[in-house]
Amino acid sequence: MQYAHPEALVETDWLEKHLKDDDIRIVESNEDVLLYDTGHIPGAVHIDWRADLQDNVIRDYIKPEKFAELCSCNGITPETTCIFYGDKANWWACYALWAFRLFGHEKVKILNGGRDKWKAEQRPMTRDVSKYPRTSYPVPKKRFDKEIRAFADEALAQSKSKKPLIDVRSPGEYKGEITHMPEYPQEGVLRGGHIPGAQSVPWKTATKDDGTFKPAPDLAKIYLDQCGVKPGTETIVYCRIGERSSHTWFVLTYLLGLNNVRNYDGSWTEWGNKVGAPIEKGA
Amino acid sequence: MSKACGKLDELGAAEIRSDRMYPARLNKIINLFETLPEDERRETLVSYAENAKKQEPRTGETFDLVDVRKDEECMDTVGVYLHVDENGKAHIRMTLGPEVQTLTRSMSAILCKGLEGCTPREILDLPSDFVTRIVGAELVRIRSQTIYYVLTRIKSICKVFLDRQRMAEVA
Repeated sequence: MQYAHPEALVETDWLEKHLKDDDIRIVESNEDVLLYDTGHIPGAVHIDWRADLQDNVIRDYIKPEKFAELCSCNGITPETTCIFYGDKANWWACYALWAFRLFGHEKVKILNGGRDKWKAEQRPMTRDVSKYPRTSYPVPKKRFDKEIRAFADEALAQSKSKKPLIDVRSPGEYKGEITHMPEYPQEGVLRGGHIPGAQSVPWKTATKDDGTFKPAPDLAKIYLDQCGVKPGTETIVYCRIGERSSHTWFVLTYLLGLNNVRNYDGSWTEWGNKVGAPIEKGA
Repeated sequence: MSKACGKLDELGAAEIRSDRMYPARLNKIINLFETLPEDERRETLVSYAENAKKQEPRTGETFDLVDVRKDEECMDTVGVYLHVDENGKAHIRMTLGPEVQTLTRSMSAILCKGLEGCTPREILDLPSDFVTRIVGAELVRIRSQTIYYVLTRIKSICKVFLDRQRMAEVA
């Protein structure tokens, strides 16, 4: 069994040989806000999940006009293949990829293993900030919210209809033992637990120790056999703010080829603070 | 309203910032960062982060207190080493695990340099509002609050030192 879309992944070896390809744009997206500045893959541009992809006033993504501007100033056209990579086993790279898909950009890939693997293999890094001739990316006609994004009322409907809901947070967060992600006590919420009916499959279940994705048969066993996710069945994934669940969304959509998966990016920071939202605690 | 507040600005808000609150070395660093454009501010922060290793304990140095631990607030182990000399001045060294984020590394190096030669009491009384003046609004977000963590750890070791000193005096 192979990945459903093996073309959605590139390996470090391949990328090093294609750094100067005209039709690709390497995009680094990290949690560590200064990591790109300390050195990055030659030619990579930096897209900040917070400053570049999110609206800075309301909790939402940028408008299509801003997305077009972001792409244009990074020399990206709709035909450019964007190869995303970053820290934390590609959490934010997958988040940025998902956001690009939200605006309909189709040519997207992930660097398997992300920044840590590239560095561990002592591949070239630079501090030169990459500049590309400006393009004129057309303003996307719509945002694909309905297709790949879920909102709280849809997560509630999913829960009530007992369709697959996957909670990718740590077991402690899922059980309601902690109200924040391990290592991030500053990001707490008012209530702990999970959306009723959600199954706990931490994001890390999909990766090997080096941050690369597990082979397709292993992923199929985890998500299709044990979790009961089926092709064609609507599935919603969530975490705290949508970054870890973007990782699982990528696995389900691109590596297992499920075509009806949505990321509930409001996630637990919305649900755990929402008045009257039903919550289950415990395993 | 506190009497400590200074003049009101044009919107009627109190001007509470006072450079006199900060030790001279730290004040110099704050002033430097405040004059930098955003790209140079980032470069300077990275440069401090890369020099954080220089703040590690050196061979032959001895310390009055050592506090090495992995807290939940930070991605990796952070060690704080305090020596207070015969003049009552504090000298701080720090060790940072490899997973500690860049901004936290920067802040460690800045604080070790900026607080060099202060007394533990001066460090304990230091307000934390200077952190945003160094880091700038663009980089301060909920997920990068560990910039305050390093200051908390330094203050905490100073507090233990002062508590022990007081107890020794009472005994």
